[in-house]
Amino acid sequence: MNNLPVPLIVIFSILSLAGVGFYCLLATRNMIKVIIGLQLLVKGVAMAFILGGNLTGQVNLAQTLALTVIVADTIVAVIGLALAVQVRHRLGTLDIKALSTLKR
Amino acid sequence: MSLILIILVIGLPWLGAGAVLLAGDSHEKLQHALAVVFALAAGAAAVLMLPSVSKSTVISLSAGTVFGNFTFVADGLSVFLSIIATVIGALAVIFSINYMHGEAQLGRYYAFVLFFIGAMAGLVLTSNMLLMFFFWEITALCSYALISFHNDDPKAVHGGIKALIITSVGGVGLLLGAILLYLTSGSLDYNQFLANPHTVPAGILGVLAFGFLIAAAAKSAQFPFQTWLPDAMEAPSPISALIHAATMVNAGVYLLARFYPAFKDVPYWREAVMAVGVLSALLAAIMALVSTDLKRVLAYSTVSQLGYMVYAIGAGSVFASQFHLFSHSIFKALLFLSAGAVIHSVGTRDMTKMGGVGKKLPFVKWVFIIGSLALVGIPILNGFWSKEMILEAGLKGGSIIYYAVMVFTAGLTALYTIRMVWMVFYGEPRSDYHAHPVGLAMKIALAPLALAACISWLAVGRFSLLLGPNSLPFHGIAPFGISEMFHDVVSLPTLIPLAVIALGILAWVFRSKLSGLAKAFDWLRWLAEHSFGFEGINSGIVAATEASAEGLSYSQTGVISWNLLYVVGTIIIFFAIFAIGA
Amino acid sequence: MVYVLVAAGILACAILAIRSKRLLVSAIWLAVTSALVALMFYLLGAVQVAVIELSVGAGLVTVLFVFAINIAGEEGMELEPVMPKPLAWGLVVIAISLTIYLTIMGGGLKLILSPSADTPAILWSDRYLDILLQIGLIFAGVLGVLGFLSEGKPETQKKDQA
Repeated sequence: MNNLPVPLIVIFSILSLAGVGFYCLLATRNMIKVIIGLQLLVKGVAMAFILGGNLTGQVNLAQTLALTVIVADTIVAVIGLALAVQVRHRLGTLDIKALSTLKR
Repeated sequence: MSLILIILVIGLPWLGAGAVLLAGDSHEKLQHALAVVFALAAGAAAVLMLPSVSKSTVISLSAGTVFGNFTFVADGLSVFLSIIATVIGALAVIFSINYMHGEAQLGRYYAFVLFFIGAMAGLVLTSNMLLMFFFWEITALCSYALISFHNDDPKAVHGGIKALIITSVGGVGLLLGAILLYLTSGSLDYNQFLANPHTVPAGILGVLAFGFLIAAAAKSAQFPFQTWLPDAMEAPSPISALIHAATMVNAGVYLLARFYPAFKDVPYWREAVMAVGVLSALLAAIMALVSTDLKRVLAYSTVSQLGYMVYAIGAGSVFASQFHLFSHSIFKALLFLSAGAVIHSVGTRDMTKMGGVGKKLPFVKWVFIIGSLALVGIPILNGFWSKEMILEAGLKGGSIIYYAVMVFTAGLTALYTIRMVWMVFYGEPRSDYHAHPVGLAMKIALAPLALAACISWLAVGRFSLLLGPNSLPFHGIAPFGISEMFHDVVSLPTLIPLAVIALGILAWVFRSKLSGLAKAFDWLRWLAEHSFGFEGINSGIVAATEASAEGLSYSQTGVISWNLLYVVGTIIIFFAIFAIGA
Repeated sequence: MVYVLVAAGILACAILAIRSKRLLVSAIWLAVTSALVALMFYLLGAVQVAVIELSVGAGLVTVLFVFAINIAGEEGMELEPVMPKPLAWGLVVIAISLTIYLTIMGGGLKLILSPSADTPAILWSDRYLDILLQIGLIFAGVLGVLGFLSEGKPETQKKDQA
């Protein structure tokens, strides 16, 4: 186990976070679960930035990029949750299929 | 100085659009006031740009390596067209105070009008092809929104969508040209392209030339796209005056004029341009002769006069075409606005129900007559000088057959114009209508235009300097004073068109005697009423677009899972391509 | 060794987060995942971002989730997903394997465990556009939430009066 290069382990965890996040977004019908999935995905992305910074030696530049991504995603979570609460008040349900009234 | 003025000319109308929307529909007077103030300010800024016209780039914003620099150049052609856009825009907004009095959703109307004025100024002031396309599409969007302003009227909505689709098809030609230009010469700045057009290989240059011709023809409602303009007359009259007479339809002519130095040596391009111009002029004049809707006659007349301008470019005289554009904007806006005053006061657009309006609305009658005389090309008014210059250029630069057709069309122009004036203003009322008096704001908007129609030709010397080598280095327009214009125009070849025009007028006066001749052309009348079959082409394009849109709408789910399916699917496809490619 | 444990922990907590039947439990597992991710950041040498991730991810976002779940209420989570589960799994597995393939083809990777000399403060002068964008985003977020909260009130007031 100690012979595994560290970058591979980190890539494994990035891909696992991204994979679980994408799966959650693809296969859920609850609005709040969607936001949880989004959070997982973005954590994977931030970790990818940090890994890249580490490999090229520019950790601090990578930190600023990862920070921007985290801030943006937190705001998305805030507004997403506010939206979810409003939808619950108006439509009475958290089902994402109930949101779509597009004529098809 | 020019930097600030360019920002003001484009930015002030856009700010005004936001201000009018913020004022809210409950404060109607405030909205009227804000719109007028911003439009007049933009007009003032445009006029102030006149002293500092030059060919050097004024603004250059770097936008990375892909899109090049966002450059704005205040050269003569740009400043002249932006003055027309903003000043006539301001007059149309003043006219709207009376015309749109009491209408619902006034904020939407003024916002789109101001947005349009800013976008039109931006279109002519920029020298980056991508920005030009961006502004081009904004004007198309505003035109659609304003044609369909009364969006509970199905005819208006249909007219708007038709205009949008056809001008967008033309816009594709423009985008294609911009992309090809970028791929072959590495830059999106057309001044670099105009400096040496031969950096582009000859085949691509041909594609560019004809692509731009198609884009210009679609935008300016030329052959074979000429049927969207008459259907766009469902728009309120100030919109017809501003967008469909004085500014947006000039964008096509501007495109041809701007790129003329680069394309003039492409084989058959000039012949194609002349053919498009001549056919549009002739067909539209015939269709105007049989139409009974006042605004449709004016719309066909616009198409016909634009045909004259396109013909002039093909014949080689950009100066004559731009001078006619200048005169045409003035007298066509005058005609549309006074027609709007008539329609607003009488309540119908059908000329067969009018008649004798001149007794009730004398002011409108006189300004309309001034506009009509300019349109026909009666001496002294500005239309005469510019039209004669076009015909002279056509005689020198094109085939004699085209010249003969254009002279004949001038006679037809006289015929349909006097028919229009007669049916509306003279004679006895043919139906029961009540004529409301014309408001003060309408008169304030109409008077300067009527005055300009009489005297704008005096500015030809300054105008030629504006377009001269100092500001348009590639066009080769020599300075041209009034005396030279007199010399050119008051000469023997001018008498032929004047004679044909006189024949046209006489034909109407003696129409009862000529009715036998008119009966012989009934087959032509039937063809003209069915717009020579071109309506079929344009309806086909519109129907095909709408059908494909219906079909594609099935892929637009509102559910995140399916949308993410597309994302993940694309990731997989791209990675697969990379994996195989590596 | 530590890396392997942390990576395994992240995977396990993420899967638990999305497979829970109750939303509150999912939120708690998300907080644990955040903490482990912050630990990973620290191990990779990004100290400041680790602190921020811990406080924002495991603190702020979790509190927001608890608030929202309490207001919105739990609901039956037994709804079937919109697309068949095997399809979703299949797509994710294919995407991940392609990524791994591309990464391995990309060449060797070496790890440098020491931080560079500049501090983030100096780098902020280079990335000031990011700061502006973040400020704009925060502003927009505040406005958005205020807008949503105020929309709720007139409705309930009308219902009270009706």
